[in-house]
Amino acid sequence: MTAVHRDGRVLNVSSNPRAPVAAAVPPSTLFELQRHYSPDRIRNPGKRSAPGGEIAAMAWDQAQGELSAAVQQARSGGKKVAWIGPYLNGQIAKLIGEVTGGNAVFWEPLGRDAEAVAAAAMLGEGAPLPRYDLTTAKHVISFGAPFLSDGWGHAGHAAQVAAARDANRGGAVAHFVAITPHRDQSSANADEWHTCRPGTEAQVALALAKLVAATRAYDGPGQELLASADPDAAAQASGVPVATLQALAALFSGQEPGVVVLPGGIAGASANAAELAAAVTLLNVMVGDSRLWSADGYRGPISTAADVDALVADLEAGNVGVLMIDDVDPVHTLPGGEKFRAAVAKAGLVVATTSHPNETAALATLVLPTHSPFEDWGDEEPWAGFSIVRQPAMQPMYDTRSLGDILLDLQRGAPAAAPEGGEAPAPAAVAATWRDHLQQAWLANLAPSAAPDVEGSVDPAPSPGRWEDVLMAGYFAGEVAPRDLSTMTGAVSLGGGEAASGSGDYFLQVYAHPFKLDGRYANEPWAQEVADPMTGQVWDSFALVHPATAEKLGVSDKDLVDVTTATGKLTVGVEVHPCVAPDVIAVALGDGRTAASGRYADGTGVNVSPALASARGAGGTLVLQGNRCSVSKAAGQADLVSTFGSDSDHHRGFVAVVPAAEWHGDEESEEPGHLTGLHEAPMDPRLVEAEEEWQKAQAGFAASGARKPVQPEHREFTSMYPVPDHPVYRFAMTVDTNRCNGCGACAVACYAENNLPVVGKWKVKAGRQMAWIRIDRFFAEHSGNEAPSVHFVPMMCQHCGHAPCESVCPVLATYHTIDGLNAMVYNRCVGTRYCANACPYSVRRFNYHSYVWPEPFNLQLNPDVSARTMGVMEKCTFCIQRIRRVKSAYRDQGFTRTIPDEALRQLPACADACPSQALTFGNLIDEKSVPHTSRKNGRTYTILSEVNTYPAVNYLARASYHVHRPEHASSGHGGEHGGGESHDAERG
Amino acid sequence: MAIVEPIDANDPGKPNRPETYGMVNRDIIRVLLRPTPLWALGVLIALTGMAIGGWCWAQQFMWGMGVAGYHPPVMWGVYIVTFVFWIGIGHAGTLISAILFLVRSRWRTGVYRASEAMTVFAVMTALLFPVLHLGRCWQAYWFFPYPNQRQLWLNFKSPLMWDVFAITTYFTVSAVFFYVGLVPDIAVFRDHARGLVRRVYGVLSLGWRGTHVQWHSYMAAYGFFAAFAAPLVLSVHSVVSWDFAMAPTAGWHSTIFPPYFVAGAIFSGCAMVISLLMPMTYLFDWHRYVNTWHFENLAKMCLLTSGILTYSYSMEYFISWYSQNPYEQAIFYWRATGVDYGWAFYLMVFCNCIAPLSWYSKFMRTHPVPLFVVAGIINVGMWMERFNIIVSSLAHTFDPAVWAYYWPTFIEWGILIGSFGWFSVWVLLFCKTFPTVAITEIKEMVMPPVKHAVER
Repeated sequence: MTAVHRDGRVLNVSSNPRAPVAAAVPPSTLFELQRHYSPDRIRNPGKRSAPGGEIAAMAWDQAQGELSAAVQQARSGGKKVAWIGPYLNGQIAKLIGEVTGGNAVFWEPLGRDAEAVAAAAMLGEGAPLPRYDLTTAKHVISFGAPFLSDGWGHAGHAAQVAAARDANRGGAVAHFVAITPHRDQSSANADEWHTCRPGTEAQVALALAKLVAATRAYDGPGQELLASADPDAAAQASGVPVATLQALAALFSGQEPGVVVLPGGIAGASANAAELAAAVTLLNVMVGDSRLWSADGYRGPISTAADVDALVADLEAGNVGVLMIDDVDPVHTLPGGEKFRAAVAKAGLVVATTSHPNETAALATLVLPTHSPFEDWGDEEPWAGFSIVRQPAMQPMYDTRSLGDILLDLQRGAPAAAPEGGEAPAPAAVAATWRDHLQQAWLANLAPSAAPDVEGSVDPAPSPGRWEDVLMAGYFAGEVAPRDLSTMTGAVSLGGGEAASGSGDYFLQVYAHPFKLDGRYANEPWAQEVADPMTGQVWDSFALVHPATAEKLGVSDKDLVDVTTATGKLTVGVEVHPCVAPDVIAVALGDGRTAASGRYADGTGVNVSPALASARGAGGTLVLQGNRCSVSKAAGQADLVSTFGSDSDHHRGFVAVVPAAEWHGDEESEEPGHLTGLHEAPMDPRLVEAEEEWQKAQAGFAASGARKPVQPEHREFTSMYPVPDHPVYRFAMTVDTNRCNGCGACAVACYAENNLPVVGKWKVKAGRQMAWIRIDRFFAEHSGNEAPSVHFVPMMCQHCGHAPCESVCPVLATYHTIDGLNAMVYNRCVGTRYCANACPYSVRRFNYHSYVWPEPFNLQLNPDVSARTMGVMEKCTFCIQRIRRVKSAYRDQGFTRTIPDEALRQLPACADACPSQALTFGNLIDEKSVPHTSRKNGRTYTILSEVNTYPAVNYLARASYHVHRPEHASSGHGGEHGGGESHDAERG
Repeated sequence: MAIVEPIDANDPGKPNRPETYGMVNRDIIRVLLRPTPLWALGVLIALTGMAIGGWCWAQQFMWGMGVAGYHPPVMWGVYIVTFVFWIGIGHAGTLISAILFLVRSRWRTGVYRASEAMTVFAVMTALLFPVLHLGRCWQAYWFFPYPNQRQLWLNFKSPLMWDVFAITTYFTVSAVFFYVGLVPDIAVFRDHARGLVRRVYGVLSLGWRGTHVQWHSYMAAYGFFAAFAAPLVLSVHSVVSWDFAMAPTAGWHSTIFPPYFVAGAIFSGCAMVISLLMPMTYLFDWHRYVNTWHFENLAKMCLLTSGILTYSYSMEYFISWYSQNPYEQAIFYWRATGVDYGWAFYLMVFCNCIAPLSWYSKFMRTHPVPLFVVAGIINVGMWMERFNIIVSSLAHTFDPAVWAYYWPTFIEWGILIGSFGWFSVWVLLFCKTFPTVAITEIKEMVMPPVKHAVER
């Protein structure tokens, strides 16, 4: 990741072009950016007189002195110094370990602890999490992990899936199966959806493993685990028929089946989550494809909920002298968080080392605010052997310190007691600053043979691997020997947890919101305001209810329902949604915060965690799923706000699907778009003539040596007006809906780049969301209980050649540039809004008011983008400021050069951010550009081409295997599923 | 003036014929004497309406268009609906005064002045809306092609630009035509007034003395203006309809719009004339001048134009089916069946197609109460027609993912009320300061005072 600066301020983030991993800016990075400028950041060290009280400012020296004194006192009193925070590895995790003497809890509620437990049980203590690389997959079977959003780590899976589903890479389109009770944004992209009863994923996975073991005649390690599997019982319990399991097992046959199985993440966080993770590991081991799966993923301390329990027990026993709370919020998010709150009060000194407040950090009396990631040095290792090294992108905004510096100062002020069998590090050995510490550690890493002298002379010829080079590259890719899996054991006892707890007809399924995740970004206005990809909901919590269930309960959209579990009751508004199983009510984790978490998170939605039983799975994993609940209609309605209109595209050609089996890669087609099935009408002979005229004109231009005029982009293009002349550039974009997974990164990046105002829930309710790019989510036609296929269509200004908006503007405030852009002159606009009415794509946005950015959000404003005031129209500009910048750069090299395609491909902020490279920008006249070439292939279509707008954006149809349509019997899951046809047969 | 032949004194349809010129003068001038409490109350109500509208506009000015109900995809709403409504109202006056003048339709005499005044005030009301619906109304002067240092020019391809010219032309011509007709009547007032009022009317009457030369020139000018104004009646609403027909939006993009809009404008204008003249006739006791004959004729005009509208509505449905254009089909299907605006569609059909049918009954079109009630229904219906066309077409635009529901806010309703207040204030002031019935033309109906008149 790289940061975009202006005047010492970070304005935006961009992918790191040097990194060997797929370019991606996950939305969470953008939310980190906004959090960096959050008005709720803690600005100086201080002390609270009481938990939750006002912070009285104090100097750093004094604050650190108090911390050191408390730590010394704790150690001398034989009490523990404990730390709780998110998953961290790299040098900071080591430092935390040193300071706390191992009493550190690295905890996140997104369900990855089960994978760690399984890995430890099967491969030995401290084994890394598995690493999945889906690029070469032919089949992806997921148990519900939100791997396409940031809810399951951010290892670039979106880019991998996009590549795997792209026939252009060679081979068939990857086939994606989701076995989960609720399709979130990630599982929505599945070709095939099998609902299973919550908590039974492990049984299904084991049954599948057993069938696969038989298929593949597997006799490797893990037999003990297989012995416990029973496909018939699993089918009975889960509702996934044996036939389906057999069909899935059949996918594993052959020499290189290319199957990769993903665990459940938060969706699988039930009592036997570890068993699920173990079964998934076994399945991947049986496939044995090291390109797809290896045992060398994230390595770093991952604590389970049982570790949190141990900390609570320590706290309650009064064994903790100092508790440091980093950026996690167990009080809010951990089921039974109130117990944690009560226990924290028993610690000697509670210290918050966060940059941003939350409800757990509010319990701290000593507040030591840390740098944001944009101000701090750091390193992390997302998977074994690959490290990312961060350097500060701007000066600290406030009187904050790096967590590393706080801990180093603590080491100096309160030297650690000698670890068992070792010597305490001498105070002098502690580096002066966190930066020095990091540098020293890295130098030691990089050159184990000859430790370089930091203070010494600079090597005139930096060798690869030197610290500066690593810093400049931003990453370091080392070699890791593949792990020997022969020692893997299946003799683990991970199962046995009761899948469901409580009573009631329904299950309460929690999931990670694709933006807010576990609620950590709930205070980021972008995360609240950008529409949820599946529902369009903003600024609230909602319960997803299957249409049949809604009918049974007598509820419809926005009606409040009481969801009652054994431990609590939620009252939440309904969103009727076909992507949940009929016996499942799905609610996102992490909302319903108070002012302690910041002003924007305050009061949005409801917190689901009090309704979750505080159970622990095998191996001490966090249990979030499997809570039975009863649901009843409550009085009143919730103020749910969705930006979505109709769920269907009403056959208007917004969605185009190519049968995956018929698509073998894009190639120039005689009849562009023939695969989409959208343009079946016979061609008007006049259009053919027009095409021939064009060919002649082009030949004439070529002969005379003049620049070629742009060719009509669509063969069906016809008009009584002349085609606009674009002598050098016709800027255009290609949207590959086959790559798009609906993650919303483009929309968030657009907010960041173009100074789009966040208008808040009530203005969004009034329809005044200002997003320049929206993702239209369409369900394919479905009725009743049938599961629809989900289609995401990013929609931004189409920069039409014949833009209806241009001809209707009375004052020429919007016009067509010679580069093919539909330009908008804000200063000339008088606000008739006629353009918005004329726009068939409804992409124009109006400034209903003058919007102000609360300080310090204004520091993030991009000075390259024109300001808009009350009463003017605005819309996507294709990031004209970025176009101008590269244009100027190339013009400076001499007027003869036009911008090369490489410099344009990811130029607009949306294309830059898109993790799956679904958006590609380019010059249509340039024959190498993607917009040019893609318009000739079989998948291309332009939306509403019959309106003759001659748009600059063309779409590429989505490749899809048929969507499995489960038949839901009235009894819930007992019904026989109709599917399980052989997909291999279709794939030819 | 033009209608040279006196009305047959024995025509049973026209009772209470004025008997002498002096009687005409007295009857009309009587209206201008001391304001009655009822009139004062009317002005008070109208001013209150205006104040509400003014306050709402001030809010909108300060806080932006966000106080109105707009949001994508519905970016036009009550303001444009009301604009088209008032422009439509403003058609009847010129139709009655110019076209009926040119075709020598005798019954126009009693009603043309009031309807002309209504036209001018309705267009004045309509002109407010293109300004106040702007996001930045303080830049409204940018609509005019004035030379400027920034070398900014206008987009003459934009139907809104055509609107600017069509409406300003129509307003100018209507106002001049209106004033030309007033000149001899103002002279009568001048002759009956004293003091300052006499001087004011003296200036306004442009030195009219009623000489033969003046009458000769006057008749030529009046005929010229009538001929000039007549085509504008057809053109201005055609141009207004192009605001919609020229945009690709389904439900707007239709060639039927110009004739359909013109018919609708005449329909609503005639209904508004009935709505205005009916109370005036009773309040000012004008039964001698405006009576059943006039109202019946206006009702017949409404019947004709209602028929044209019904045909147009049906034709829109037929064409959407016949064209097989899915977007058109969807919009028209939805208009009639959607829960959001279906009621508005049926209200429109009832008001504009069904309610006027009652005027096929002679009783209904010759009695004041049914005339007044049905005319009111038509006024509501014509507002709903524009609401249907503008709002429902936009709400179900091309991209189903943005379909949304628009409903006006308090501010928009307030400005709608304000527009009625503004219009009413002008009408009320006018009828207390100028002759609302054309004195000179009425006098043409009086038997000339010849010597053997004693035979009567």
